[in-house]
Amino acid sequence: MGSSIMDPTGQTTRAEGALQPAIRPESLKGMTVGLLDNGKQNAGRFVEELGKVLVERYGVGRVVLRKKPVATVDAPAQLLDDLHHAAELVVIGVGDCGSCSAAAIADGIALERLGTPTAVVCTESFTATADAMAVIRGAAGYRHATVAHPMAGLPFEKVRARAEGVADEVASLLTGATVRRGAA
Amino acid sequence: MIDLEGLASLRTSLEADGYEIDVEEGERVAVVISATPAACAECLVPASLMVPMLEHALKVPGDRIDLTYPADHEQ
Repeated sequence: MGSSIMDPTGQTTRAEGALQPAIRPESLKGMTVGLLDNGKQNAGRFVEELGKVLVERYGVGRVVLRKKPVATVDAPAQLLDDLHHAAELVVIGVGDCGSCSAAAIADGIALERLGTPTAVVCTESFTATADAMAVIRGAAGYRHATVAHPMAGLPFEKVRARAEGVADEVASLLTGATVRRGAA
Repeated sequence: MIDLEGLASLRTSLEADGYEIDVEEGERVAVVISATPAACAECLVPASLMVPMLEHALKVPGDRIDLTYPADHEQ
């Protein structure tokens, strides 16, 4: 039996088993992928380059780009609903601070609950924050992709390299049969 | 006893945003988070969110945690 944790929105969520992940496609070929720029420095550039890599490497059909108004809090429900309808899959980036990583994970979980497979990218420094937020939002074990820290301040070439380096992990998160870490 | 590995992971996250964390464990667990000159104010999650994060990272019930935040230091 999982423990209960009170989250700051006043909801009590079970620490285990509450999230039913969205059903994943077998491949990305021909799919429409939504790219959610969380507004952090280089995040837009990063998700755009990641989208290009997914097109080149996995045959993604097209990408649609959206931007969060505020990186450090949950995305507005209307924005997530728009992404849910505009795209079949979503990539969110980049969590490269505590609050924006927590918010990015919250957004990813919210999209999963809408039925949209979502991959969140955070820098490796914020794994603990991201994992804790997943527990708080009733999605213990919700996996995210990681890139080296930091993302802010990097020249374009290094942003592109980060995108190329994490693309396979993102593709795996979007197509995997499960998003539960350590699942049997 | 607190989970030292979880504390180390959380410390890594906080340090990346310019914060330090000190933990003292007795009957209760006293957690002090303080800002360095390089701290990013908007990067720190609200205290209401930090408590459940500490609960998860330290493997300690939230009602045993006494959290002091940077704003508390300044008062």
